[in-house]
Amino acid sequence: MVSSTIDHLVAVTVFLAATLLFIGLFNQTIQTAVIYQRHRATATKASDLLDNMLLSPGIPVNWGQTDVNLTGFGLQDPEFTQYRMSPYSLMRLQSSVGDPVYYNATGQWYSNVTIGDRNFMLVPDSLALDYSTATRLLGINNTYGFQLTLTPIVSVSIEATQLANSLRLDIEASGVGFPLSSATISYCFLKVGSQENNTYYDISFGTDVADDTGSASISIPNVVAGDSYAFIAYARQSGLVGVGYHERTKDENKYVIPFIDSFDEGRVLLVHSRDVHGDEPSEYTLFYNATFVLLTEDFTLREMPITTTGDRVVYGGSSENVTIPTYNPGILVVTYKTQGADQDGVVLMPWGVGSLAFSVTFGGDPAKQEWVATDMRQVVVGGIAYQAKIAVWSLEGYQVVG
Amino acid sequence: MMRTIEVLIVIIIITGAFIAASFFAVLPWPRQVSPVNLRRLSFTTLEMLDSNYDLSRAAFETENYTIWGGLQIALSASLPPNIIYNLTVYEVTGETTQLYTFIDSMSNAESLGVTSDASSYMVASSNVTFNVVPEKIGEHSGGGTLYILNCSDAPGWWITGYTAQGLANDLYNLLSPYFSNTIMVQNTAELGKILDGTSLHGETLQNAVVINTCGEAVPIPSNYADMYPQNTYAEYFYQLGKRVLQYNWTWTSIVGWPFYYVSNINKFSSYDNGWGIYGMRQTGNPGLNAFLQGLDNRSSYVPGSSSTSSPGVVYLSSQAIDSSNYYGIYPSPYQTSTRALPTSITTDYHLDVTTCVFNPVGSSIPAAVYRHKVTIGGTTQYQGGFYAIGLTRTPDIRLTALGLLADYRPRLYRSEYTANGTSRIVVLQLGLVGGV
Repeated sequence: MVSSTIDHLVAVTVFLAATLLFIGLFNQTIQTAVIYQRHRATATKASDLLDNMLLSPGIPVNWGQTDVNLTGFGLQDPEFTQYRMSPYSLMRLQSSVGDPVYYNATGQWYSNVTIGDRNFMLVPDSLALDYSTATRLLGINNTYGFQLTLTPIVSVSIEATQLANSLRLDIEASGVGFPLSSATISYCFLKVGSQENNTYYDISFGTDVADDTGSASISIPNVVAGDSYAFIAYARQSGLVGVGYHERTKDENKYVIPFIDSFDEGRVLLVHSRDVHGDEPSEYTLFYNATFVLLTEDFTLREMPITTTGDRVVYGGSSENVTIPTYNPGILVVTYKTQGADQDGVVLMPWGVGSLAFSVTFGGDPAKQEWVATDMRQVVVGGIAYQAKIAVWSLEGYQVVG
Repeated sequence: MMRTIEVLIVIIIITGAFIAASFFAVLPWPRQVSPVNLRRLSFTTLEMLDSNYDLSRAAFETENYTIWGGLQIALSASLPPNIIYNLTVYEVTGETTQLYTFIDSMSNAESLGVTSDASSYMVASSNVTFNVVPEKIGEHSGGGTLYILNCSDAPGWWITGYTAQGLANDLYNLLSPYFSNTIMVQNTAELGKILDGTSLHGETLQNAVVINTCGEAVPIPSNYADMYPQNTYAEYFYQLGKRVLQYNWTWTSIVGWPFYYVSNINKFSSYDNGWGIYGMRQTGNPGLNAFLQGLDNRSSYVPGSSSTSSPGVVYLSSQAIDSSNYYGIYPSPYQTSTRALPTSITTDYHLDVTTCVFNPVGSSIPAAVYRHKVTIGGTTQYQGGFYAIGLTRTPDIRLTALGLLADYRPRLYRSEYTANGTSRIVVLQLGLVGGV
């Protein structure tokens, strides 16, 4: 009787222990499968979201070229089909990497995509589309988060070597996985000149062909050490187009900053740099001269004159206006000279993201998310080849066991 | 002891079940959870390489090593290093049982890694021209006649820089492919004939489209000019409205304030329109009102007036942009409107706006096709139409063509893309290497 009772007790205890153990084991398998399914759903959503963004121009279709608020989110160029992005819609995305810039005179914060020291793209927050509005327009607010990144496929790096009375520029073009051998290189060289209270520029254009390693060397005569200049080069090989730029300035402390003011009217404000982030006032007036350079359909560069409201920017004074007369992507080039000093320089601003191959990062931060799905497409932005990548994560949370 | 043994047996059975379940419930590799969409990546790569038709050129010049090698460089440069590819070009034959014939291929690896996917892209030779055959308006429903008023004896107004005859020729070139019959009405006498119900060349009078190329002026046949006492030419427009209703025409005014002048060089040789143009008389704002009364089948003409507004810059509607892309007619998407008609005419004269060419601004309609509603036997249908483009001078006749095509929507039948030797298909297969 006793042994039978012990037998029952041992059997029940072992059975309960074994049952609990197996419930745990099966539960873990099931949880892993559920999480897998959720991850899979997030991955599908990533692909779906990316196509939604890239294959729709948004509402209104030309929102990138206007100052209106959009009611449907999309980045496709309305003049084309498939994966061609509007270079202007991309400009209106609030950058999630650059530090915003505040400009007192307009009382506005500006979304900042500035590359290097002198290549600006500053868009007022009132015109820039913010991340939370985008998620609402896409219908994913509080369910999914995303970060969209567009980076140029071709990188064109330029290094300068000063020779006795000329300048040698070494250009290297490469894609993400291979050098751009035998690429055709179209370039524009803009040399800044200045007189007493005036600045001017000499502009020249040319083409060259890269060698098997994607490298080319271009000599520019009559450029001495200390000359300010800007050099812009487009590299092209079988439909793959990239752009690079390089500039040298004499005056690095004071310069002109271009702020986009209206997409509708193509208006850009030119401002004294000390008005924006100078620690100390400047008594120096900057005389400027502005021009617009665009890439034509045959991949040569062409200069287009533009109208300006004045010829100088003064510290503490009102800003000057430049009106870009076209919706063809191009580059605004502003040369400047400091009053009463032998110091000049040049700043660049792309009109259309692709013109200077600026990268665009828009959206939330994927770094602290539990699991992130990614996908990518190859796209064209204003004729320049880009890779569009999306990172998507769920905001609904997962319960992870084990 | 037996119970313990039985429990142990149960444990063994459950363990077996767990092992069996684990064996079949194999979780996929991490790569399969969130795979790179190789199919879309390959398609977008092909599309990007063809953005300036370089891929199309290379696909038809595979024997040209410079171009073919350039394509390989671009392909290698555009794909990430962990992605390998195989690009193959096929000729689309379509004449034998074998639909595709291999032409050439390139690859940067012997195999395509652990996982691969492909997509195809059709390219066309630059030598080929594709034929487009438009559907004829009225082909199935009857009518399909286009009358273009090319009256040599009627001067125009607000067509500055053009002549009515020049505009008529341009309209003929733009629109005649879409109509069964296009008739140039050469003088006001011919206009009188069709108003009286006589066809000029055996064409169908009913359901026609009439385009007045004289701008704000409307040609008036001599016998009609004689019918009305001096300065009451608005009544001519009332009769015109009646004819438009009777024959179910669509009357088109290409610019400005419609029916503002009557024009006949013989009848009004010693009169000008108030602005120094001889051969026409001003009817003023009662003209439009009279026409609409006629179109609305009012029993008699009651003198009245009409109004227009000036909303300024106006934008093409989404329907017009859609038609613009479909028919390949690209006027400027924004124009200046100074003679927009009020929306109130739709209720006053039983009109429906069937096509808005420009987006309305408040209560102003810059350019639209209006159809007159009639009720016959309890059924409401359209009888008579009016297309008014209330833009400022000078006229852009592409807008005339665009509005009419947007309203009638004739289909375009494009020739097949599989014509022998003119199409090739490019297949790009991508594979992933490394990782799990």
